[in-house]
Amino acid sequence: MRARVIALNATLAIFGLIIVLPFFWMILSAFKSNAEIVGFDQSFWPREWTLQNFMSIQTKLDFFRLFANSVLLSVTITALSVYTSLVGGFVFAKYRFRGRGVLFAVILSTMMITWAVVIIPRYTMFRAAGLTDNYASIIIPAVISAFGIFMMRQSMDAVPDEILEAARIDGASEWFIFHRIVAPMSVNAISALSIFVFLWVWEDYLWPYLMISSEELQVLAVGLTTFNGQYSTDYGGLFAATTLAIVPVMIVYIVFQRRFIAGAASAALKG
Amino acid sequence: MSNRTLTEPGAPPDERTPISSSPRRIKKPSSELWLRNLTIGTVIAALVVLLFIPIGIAFVGSFHDWNPLNGSFDFTGIDNYVELFADATFWRASWNTLVFGILSIVGRVLLGLAIAYALFSKLSRWRTFFRTIFYLPTVMPLVAVAFLWKLMYNPQFGAINTVFGLDINWLFDPRYSLLAIVIMTIWKDFGFAVILFLAGLYAIPEDVLEAASVDGANAWRTFWHIVLPLLRPMLFFVIITSMIGYLQAFVQVLVMTNGGPGTSTQLISFMIYDQAFVKYDFGYASAIAFVLLIATAALTAASWRMNQSALDTPRRGRRVLRRTEGKLS
Repeated sequence: MRARVIALNATLAIFGLIIVLPFFWMILSAFKSNAEIVGFDQSFWPREWTLQNFMSIQTKLDFFRLFANSVLLSVTITALSVYTSLVGGFVFAKYRFRGRGVLFAVILSTMMITWAVVIIPRYTMFRAAGLTDNYASIIIPAVISAFGIFMMRQSMDAVPDEILEAARIDGASEWFIFHRIVAPMSVNAISALSIFVFLWVWEDYLWPYLMISSEELQVLAVGLTTFNGQYSTDYGGLFAATTLAIVPVMIVYIVFQRRFIAGAASAALKG
Repeated sequence: MSNRTLTEPGAPPDERTPISSSPRRIKKPSSELWLRNLTIGTVIAALVVLLFIPIGIAFVGSFHDWNPLNGSFDFTGIDNYVELFADATFWRASWNTLVFGILSIVGRVLLGLAIAYALFSKLSRWRTFFRTIFYLPTVMPLVAVAFLWKLMYNPQFGAINTVFGLDINWLFDPRYSLLAIVIMTIWKDFGFAVILFLAGLYAIPEDVLEAASVDGANAWRTFWHIVLPLLRPMLFFVIITSMIGYLQAFVQVLVMTNGGPGTSTQLISFMIYDQAFVKYDFGYASAIAFVLLIATAALTAASWRMNQSALDTPRRGRRVLRRTEGKLS
């Protein structure tokens, strides 16, 4: 029994190391000089710690600006998209109207549509509308989310109709019922959806790459590839830039890991 | 007006008793109608403007010689499709997508299942810690993880060759390039499967597993005959979402190999990106995108059908449960 406990946990530990070591390697390498990175004698720990990589990428590309832009966009889109999903989920869960089932089925089926089919016409349309190089072009397509409406409806279905009826008899407005009664009962779904949307916006590459041309407005994911395209042999810089893109997300994840995991599991169990 | 609140022919039969089935019909307050109509209107407008019109344009565009750089939009009939089916790169990309998809799904599911079951076992320690670790790569931004792995595979200083004592030029050798992308994809994604399978495992009533162990079933038999049938709906969910996701994968290819060397890592979605936004052949790219859309729809529908028949499996699981209980009493 004891041997089995050790074997099982050792196996888990090995897989754990396979996950964690690349991240440590990346972070530590970001503090090595370029000469040490490409040198013959490789070591895990930097022989000489340096901040040179972080300082030099900042002069080549304004990474802190890119970072701030990504944060701003991700927060804005998350807030808007979660709110519209709440409203959509509320209407589909709690109101009965003609065509509700059909419309909801249509919304569900759109989740299957590949980005490849819509991105070319969207690109053409947004260019024609003069929305390029403008955050409106990033925000507009992300504001209404089929997945979000679906998830919120699943969550709000669990709120008993009697509560709404009671509030209506007490003279509460629909506005009040939605904001003060139903939405607060969906806190878990809200946190789960917020995490999903935030991560999707944070890592989205192609659409900002197509829409945003000026460097001051660019996002981190695109900045990484721009940097790599221009300084492909600056490995230290690439380690530092990748670290900047990963570590903040990692910290947020470690702090809120319970919420992240509960969100993923609940989305799947209901789906 | 109030009559419409009764069960309408258009509405699906509802699981719960409709509010309006009570004898006194409550007139809908105007704020409800306002909120309802605004929401439905916005959703329909968004669907039309952001999805239906673009799909229509893409469909029409796929029959045109469409290039935004020189402004051409000339009808060419089915030329794009004819060209596509004669394009060796397309067939290579289809094959690569199939290999990439199958290997990634199998790797993700098997590893996810094995690790979830290990974490579920009463013998495992530090469950929360391990769970947190395994899910970590899933939530990291894909572009950044692809860059990390590009560095990991670097033949000069990459950690993979150093750690395993290999001398492989992973991303520039056509024999290994696709495998390299598969390994990175499994590494990033299997943790998601771990979390989902773990949730599925915790949903199994404890007495079922206890009954099995009292019955003397060993771990393997318990897994195969009781756990797996009960996990099947979750298994299908993971496979279907992975399938849809991997058919659309292109970022790792873009970052790590740019489709090369040669066409060894061309995936369908990467090819669409390449044709559309590198070569600006919008018509051709739209044609490929439509083929991909139809393939995705067909595969999803097929899996969904299998899933429907698999919906019987919880029932089968419950039968197993009853039999186990029967033996107990």
